[in-house]
Formats: sequence, C-alpha cells, structure tokens
Amino acid sequence: MEHLLEGKKINKTFVTKGKETTALSDVSFYLDEGEILGIVGESGSGKSTLLNVVSGLIKADSGELFYGEENYIGKGPAHTGKFLRMIFQDAKSSFDPRMTMEKSLLESRRGKQDRGELSELIKAVGLEEKLLSRKVSDMSGGQCQRMSIARALYSEVGILLCDEITSAVDVSSQKQVVELLKKLNESRKLSCIFVSHDIALVSMLCGRIMIMKDGRCVEEGETAAVISDPKNEYTKLLIESAKKQSF
Amino acid sequence: MIVFAAAVIIMTLFAGVFAPNDPYKTSATVIRTAPCADYPFGTDNLGRCVFSRVLYGGRTTIAATFFLVFVSFAIGTVIGMVCGYYGGIADRIFMRIADITLGFPQMVVAIAVAGILGAGMKGAMIALGITMWISFARLARSHTYSIKNEAYVKTVLFTGKSDFYIIMVHIFPNLMGPVLTNALTQIGTTMIGLSGLSFLGLGIIPPTAEWGSMISEARAYIQIAPWSVFYPAAATIITIIIFNYLGDVVMDYREAG
Repeated sequence: MEHLLEGKKINKTFVTKGKETTALSDVSFYLDEGEILGIVGESGSGKSTLLNVVSGLIKADSGELFYGEENYIGKGPAHTGKFLRMIFQDAKSSFDPRMTMEKSLLESRRGKQDRGELSELIKAVGLEEKLLSRKVSDMSGGQCQRMSIARALYSEVGILLCDEITSAVDVSSQKQVVELLKKLNESRKLSCIFVSHDIALVSMLCGRIMIMKDGRCVEEGETAAVISDPKNEYTKLLIESAKKQSF
Repeated sequence: MIVFAAAVIIMTLFAGVFAPNDPYKTSATVIRTAPCADYPFGTDNLGRCVFSRVLYGGRTTIAATFFLVFVSFAIGTVIGMVCGYYGGIADRIFMRIADITLGFPQMVVAIAVAGILGAGMKGAMIALGITMWISFARLARSHTYSIKNEAYVKTVLFTGKSDFYIIMVHIFPNLMGPVLTNALTQIGTTMIGLSGLSFLGLGIIPPTAEWGSMISEARAYIQIAPWSVFYPAAATIITIIIFNYLGDVVMDYREAG
C-alpha cells in the first residue's frame, strides 16, 4: 500500500566548528492518510530535526522522502507547503508581531482568500472571531497555538507537522490542543506527525508511535502495543518515568 | 523633544520668513556690529547679519544632513537585508569591506576623500557617506539574520511567497525600529562631520551660509566679534543635542513598548 508520506533511510549530520554531530541516522518512517504518528524522544534525539527535514526547512544529507509517488527530497518549504504545514513549539513567535491574526491567516493560503471561511475555521478551533483583529501580543499562548492550527487548516493542506506544540502552553491548554487535533483528525481526516517528549500525551493522541534516541528510531509500532509491551530498554525507561510523573 | 526638533526644522526651512535681513548682503557700515535690534546675533566681518546666516546656514546643514542620513539609511539597509537574508559570498565581501573601513576613524577617511574630491557640499557628502552606510548595513544585517530564523518567517516560506515579499512584508517592517533609531542618532554625528569638513575648508564653499564654514571664517576675528563664532557654534551644538536626545527618546519608547 502506498503511504501518504514516507521517509527512507534519512541521514543528517551537522558540522559546527569542525565538530560533526549526527542528528539523524538511517531514519525511516511513514504516515498514512488520516493517521496521527507520534514521535517521542528526549532533547537531542533528532525528532525536531526529522520534522525540519520532512518539511524541507533543512536538507537531508541522504535518504528519500515521498509524498505519494513523488520523491521530494532536497526540495524546500515553498514546494512542501503545497501538501504540508509545520506548527512550531512557540506559537507566539510563529506570528508576525506587526500583523493581525486575520492577515497572518489569509496570507497562509496560496490560492483564493476567503474571509467567510476564516470565520468558520476560527469557530472550529474553539476561538472567537473577534480575536482575528488582534495582534500576537494580545493573545495567550494557548490561543496562539489554536490560531496556528487554524492557519494550517486554512492553507488547505492534508498534513500537519506538530513540533512540540504543547510544550510552551499550560496543562489545560495542552489538553485543549490535543483534543482539538483529535477532533480535526476525525472530522477532516487530517494526517499529522506529532512530536513530543511526553510519551503520556502522545499515547492519548496517536495511533502509532515512534521512539527516537541519538538520531535513530529505536522502536516503532501501534501505540497500545508499544506502551503495553515495550521491546527497547530506552522505551521502557520512558514509559516508567511517565508513570512516575503521573503520580 | 519632537517639538524642539520640529521648531529647528521649521525655522531653518522657512528661513526666508524668519530672517530679518538678507544673509548675503554685505555692508561696510555695520561691520562686526554687536547684537542689537536690527541684527539680533550681530554682524560678521563683511557686515552680514549673523542671525539670518544662522537660519540659512541651518537650512544647508540640516538639509544636507537629512539627505545624507536618508541615502546612507537606504543603501545600508538594503545591503544589510540582502546580506543577512542570503548570506554567502556577497555577505562575506560586504562585511569584510565594512570591517576594513571601520578600521579607520570616520573623520580621517572623510578628510582624505574630501581632499581628493575637492571642496564643495557634494564632495563632503560623498566623503562622509563612504563610511556612514556601514552602521546601517551591519544593524540591518544582524536583525535580518535573526528575523529570518523566526518561526513566523519560516511559516511564510511554506506559502511559496517570493524572497522579495518576505523581505518587504516581514523583515523590513520588523527591523525599521532599530534602524530608524540609529538614523536619528546619526543625525548629530553627520552634522558634526559636515560642519567639521566645512570648518576645514573641505565642505561648503563661502559665501554660502553654513554653520561650519561660518565658524571657520569668523574664528580669525573671534576676539573682536565673538558673536560671529558663538551663534553658529551654539546652533550646531543645540541642534545636535536635540536630535541625539530625540534618538534616545525614540529608543526608550521602543524598549518600553
């Protein structure tokens, strides 16, 4: 079966002041239509780098990236933006401080801009229409995160790449964002890669999970199966620490 | 402070209205007259009204300063934005040129260039402009570099918008604040530079009224007609203080807001 999005043996090494750091080593993944794939790992495990490579913001050293049958490796965000959008960790910094929300949202669509559709979308993400006239400085972190989801939806793409989007918001906003993504996934068949360091949060949202460590995928499978019967020692450690934190 | 700056600009811009006498009319009967009702700032060695010359001279100095700051701001900001946005070899070349130029004191470079180009306002402006664009370019470059790595610019990359659009709509408006503040603080420095070159005989050619050249001309008889030096010098100092202070006020306002 052909996947909606697929990455094969992706490698990425950063060189800083002559020192090489392997961020991704032979990482492969796939995402099917209407699926939410969770990627979990500690800081520096390569999960955000993987999203940046998939989105085209960073070029991979080697490997293949497919959107359907098209191999788009090496192409930048101007190309990938036709089928995916990235939602960043710090939602506040993802809006131009001089622009109103409305302008930012309208700008995100490549084709014809429809103000009426915008109003419906704002309601769909649980926000009030009056927020459209505000600038980012007048919004809370949670509101901005939902607004950035609305912006991605308005751009009419089928895939969202969420990079730690719940890390910079409070617990109640975290829950609202996760529930919103769940709802949108069900109602709009939205496909999503959800990156987080919080395995408990990922298990609430994602049907499939991928565990990363030191730039490698150490375990991957159905979320329920991985959580109930982890094969890798690092996965066991993550689950154990998540259980401890819940108390 | 804006009121003072506006007052200075209006007074010099409408010098023809406020000046009580013709600034270029010489009179042998009123040579080196002390300040009086007819000549509020006295007269100079040729019997010309110092007050009228200060107003007309301000027009020359301020207009040249504003023009030079604006051109340096425009050239420096464009170079800085292009270097900061694209990086690469052009960025390295421009920044090395900037580093080398900054290695020499601005006034020394200006005197050397003005000396080669000869006296005149055009030569003086080119001489100062050679080094002035650098501060704007460096500031615009560093801000462009940091803004282009902001998530909101990365988000726009996905919309397929052109580099020109991103620079003009997202980068330029967001770096305008600091660059504009720099422009305001450069007004004082430029005024000193232009007046300094005129004082050395490398700027405005007499009899055109200009503060630096007025001081230069009058210093020869400072002991018998000190007002001829005092008023153009005071005008220069007060104007520089006003615009420097205006720059500080704008900077404080930006930081507070």
